[in-house]
Amino acid sequence: MVNLLFYIAALVAVLTAVGVVLARNPVISVLSLLSCFASLAVIYLLAGFQFLAAIQILVYGGAIMVLFLFVVMLLNLGGLSQEDGEQDDPLFHDRRRSGGGLAIAVALGSASLIGILRGARHLAEPTNGFAMPEEGLDALPALAEAMFTRYSLPFEAASVLLLSAAVGVMVLAKRQRHDGLAPAPSGEDRP
Amino acid sequence: MTVPTEHLLALAAILFAIGVAGFFTRRNLIVVLTSIELMLNAANLTFVAGARLHSANGGVQVDGPIFVIFVVAVAAVEAAVGLALVIALYRRKQTVSLDAIARMED
Repeated sequence: MVNLLFYIAALVAVLTAVGVVLARNPVISVLSLLSCFASLAVIYLLAGFQFLAAIQILVYGGAIMVLFLFVVMLLNLGGLSQEDGEQDDPLFHDRRRSGGGLAIAVALGSASLIGILRGARHLAEPTNGFAMPEEGLDALPALAEAMFTRYSLPFEAASVLLLSAAVGVMVLAKRQRHDGLAPAPSGEDRP
Repeated sequence: MTVPTEHLLALAAILFAIGVAGFFTRRNLIVVLTSIELMLNAANLTFVAGARLHSANGGVQVDGPIFVIFVVAVAAVEAAVGLALVIALYRRKQTVSLDAIARMED
């Protein structure tokens, strides 16, 4: 029963991932990615990672995807993709480049699938099934202890990364007015 | 859930391949960024599968979940910087197509 739920969630994840790639409208693409993340959260929950499922919904779905949607709405890109030369077919408007990309993707995917399926018998699958502790496999006390002891250096590096990204985003999104590089903003209200 | 580990890994490989296909074929910058997010999530799923396998074999191992959290942080950074670049590009060229920035001369 639980296994059936996993396969349903996996099917939904793959279908919505295909929707992400094939959607012509960026809004549809972002929303399918949101559904893909939701089904991945279901899979994390089934695998015993409750905290990761919550992170997936809160941070990925709640913050990152809303940021994407915010930018799409801000730039009013909802119906813009027909101006990008993708109106006929989002994948094959440029056959040479798209064919190369698809070939890379198919080669990568099939190689890793073959490797996984051939190497599966070397995985030491547990004999007693996947017995799961009551608090799940990512209990917060153990997670926090590892995060602030063994992984304290990566933790600090992540904080520096976030800080530099915040500064960089401010610099990038700031309107360049006096350097003569930016084109004259036409019809824009200046505060 | 008693799904074998290789099915989780196979799902991650399929999602990653779909993300690679979107990354290399689409010209819309927003869709390219969403494809990158898809690939990062495939990597997360691989971490989860490995952590589940190792935890089942003896004692709970938290290295996998920790790396998933770090990947989520990096994904947030990547989305923020990428979308700021999209906004800057749109301000200059009024488009988000990658074809518009194939040449960096102007």
